[in-house]
Amino acid sequence: MYMTPMMLSSSLVLTLNILLYPLLTALDPTPKKPQWASTHVKTAVSTAFFISLIPLMMFLDQGTESIMINWHWMNTSTFDINISFKFDHYSLIFTPIALFVSWSILEFASWYMHSDPYMNRFFKYLLLFLVAMIVLVTANNMFQLFIGWEGVGIMSFLLIGWWYGRSDANTAALQAVLYNRVGDIGLILSMAWMATNMNSWEIQQIFFLSKDFNMTLPLLGLILAATGKSAQFGLHPWLPSAMEGPTPVSALLHSSTMVVAGIFLLIRLHPLMENNQLALTTCLCLGALTTLFTATCALTQNDIKKIVAFSTSSQLGLMMVTIGLNQPQLAFLHICTHAFFKAMLFLCSGSIIHSLNDEQDIRKMGGLHKLMPFTSSCLTIGSLALTGTPFLAGFFSKDAIIEALNTSHLNAWALALTLIATSFTAVYSFRVVFFVTMGTPRFLPLSPINENNPAVINPIKRLAWGSIIAGLIITSNFLPLKSPVMTMPFMLKLAALFVSIIGLLSAMELAAMTSKQFKTTPTLPLHNFSNMLGFFPSTIHRLMPKLNLTLGQLMATQLLDQSWLEKSGPKGIASMQIKMSTHASDPQQGMIKTYLTIFLLTSTLAILLMLL
Amino acid sequence: MAAYLTHQQKVLRLYKKSLRHLESWCIFRDKYRFYACLLRGRFDENKGEKDMVKATKMLKAGEEEFWANQHPQPYLFPDSPGGTSYERYECYKVPEWCLDHWHPSEKAQYPDYFAKREQWKKLRAQSWEREVQQLQEETPADGPKSEALPPARREGDLPPLWWQYVTRPRERPM
Repeated sequence: MYMTPMMLSSSLVLTLNILLYPLLTALDPTPKKPQWASTHVKTAVSTAFFISLIPLMMFLDQGTESIMINWHWMNTSTFDINISFKFDHYSLIFTPIALFVSWSILEFASWYMHSDPYMNRFFKYLLLFLVAMIVLVTANNMFQLFIGWEGVGIMSFLLIGWWYGRSDANTAALQAVLYNRVGDIGLILSMAWMATNMNSWEIQQIFFLSKDFNMTLPLLGLILAATGKSAQFGLHPWLPSAMEGPTPVSALLHSSTMVVAGIFLLIRLHPLMENNQLALTTCLCLGALTTLFTATCALTQNDIKKIVAFSTSSQLGLMMVTIGLNQPQLAFLHICTHAFFKAMLFLCSGSIIHSLNDEQDIRKMGGLHKLMPFTSSCLTIGSLALTGTPFLAGFFSKDAIIEALNTSHLNAWALALTLIATSFTAVYSFRVVFFVTMGTPRFLPLSPINENNPAVINPIKRLAWGSIIAGLIITSNFLPLKSPVMTMPFMLKLAALFVSIIGLLSAMELAAMTSKQFKTTPTLPLHNFSNMLGFFPSTIHRLMPKLNLTLGQLMATQLLDQSWLEKSGPKGIASMQIKMSTHASDPQQGMIKTYLTIFLLTSTLAILLMLL
Repeated sequence: MAAYLTHQQKVLRLYKKSLRHLESWCIFRDKYRFYACLLRGRFDENKGEKDMVKATKMLKAGEEEFWANQHPQPYLFPDSPGGTSYERYECYKVPEWCLDHWHPSEKAQYPDYFAKREQWKKLRAQSWEREVQQLQEETPADGPKSEALPPARREGDLPPLWWQYVTRPRERPM
């Protein structure tokens, strides 16, 4: 009877320890064999995945969830900080999925980074990132979540700047850190508020006490944190720049796991938000704006990794919309299904890039349908799943979200933006598939492209299976916590499919026009807007530093000397006095005779009046 | 090289960059070839212009047209500056003086290389003074005009800064 919680907890602790073991052995100064990465790290992650399936099965069978408090870390008489893990519906499903995706990515990375002299270090960083992510996901208190949050931020910095000789990579890594930092301000604000008002960082206590407080301020802080980490509009440029890192990094961090941390935070703390209309509306509108803006930017990009990065950003906006609709479990479902097909899209593009000798521009790819049939078909499957093709993985989550959006009586503007973004998803997915796989090759004749290596094919195959069946498996085994709207008008039910098909048809028409004889440059100015990412990075990355530096210069040179020593003292008083005296002395023009005459006249008048 | 570009150089540079941007716009090769031939025709019909004033005005108009029609994200080769794998392997390029810091047991694994290395270092010490002297003689008073190094002028001399060239890291380190 009590076996189940014990088995659950022990298998989860075992999972974490299996993941930590290669990291601890890496502290040993003796150098590792070159195959350490493949033999130790990859097998650790795959073993951890299989073991984490045990708690998942137990949760499916009996619905057991557990909270483990492992260590009373810092306890005062009024405030407790413990190391406690919460294994509930969200973390029990997310952990196996994250481990599965990481396993595939690590196997792929053993091929992709094969010629890299520091491959062991690369795998160590990826494993450390994975541990930080799992700490974040399973955290039961805000402090542990913050540890995981910062951990994934730091590992993102180290991994984006993996090729640190490249100045663009360093810029991108710094950009990621700075934008995440701005989001961290929000998280720290919320944590401080909770510590002072609720006297605890434990999630259960926060939920219990939240009914007594007006939670608007911490919720806005949490939304700011999610904006930074999950690249919502306003703090989004770091995500496309993060494509400077190697493709396995993009696949693991910036598509499946790290960028969903912000959304996961909001999902985890959703009970705080349920009754706060301001927070929900903010999420809805911010998410809708993000998803449309980034989908617009993705339409005209030419770098295959940037297109997939923008599509990630667009899907994150969609997840934010779902949270704004008060449907956290749908957002979570979308996180899970999105992990599969987005990681697969990145792995396919990585395979293509490596085969074409580091060529990332889709204008110089083509005809890969015949040369790399498996990769191009998996790219197509991933794109179809992304657009929400019926009964693939993305359909179950995306269609449910759009249905919920259609039938809710909320902001119609957000609905319109999200539908337009859904059609854009179909457009840019088709654009990628058209330029990469169809037609004739536009690249130079290179070393023969092959798909012989099982280290490439097996991960993509596993993720392809996941993209096809994961949606079905998850939705058929886990009941929704909120009952969805069961009846709706026919057009609303089909709205997502309809706009995707419209997008696809218009994309096919436009793609057929690219090889016809029209003007070479686009006639509308919108192309420049989309291609330059809405001019957002161009303005903000120059404006903010300029403002800050000008402020710094003013403070350094003028604040003390000019303001406090001169203007508030002698010179200020002097200028005031001069102004006053000029105002007072202007009327006086020294015409004594006129003044005397007027004086005599008025005094004569007054005496006459008095005598009368 | 002189400090200014000749008219021919300017025209050719305009032609090449407009062809590259045209290639960025016209993705398919047959369409690109068509428009490239049209562009070549436009350049060719004015190539016999003898009046330099008119030719310079046409060049200026061409540059304006290029600026208006350029591609915001032109295609860059991966290894060229601004490309995706430019300077990617800089972090693996170790300078050669690290070899001096190897442990003797490591150096013993490559005895013939390190024996020869001692001789090369002696040669470098010997020729250094003459290299510096040659460079000081040949550099103009207000600083060097370009980064190109002159060859060895005298008989029995080594080219200046030959050591940096000989021991440069590979383009693609292992």
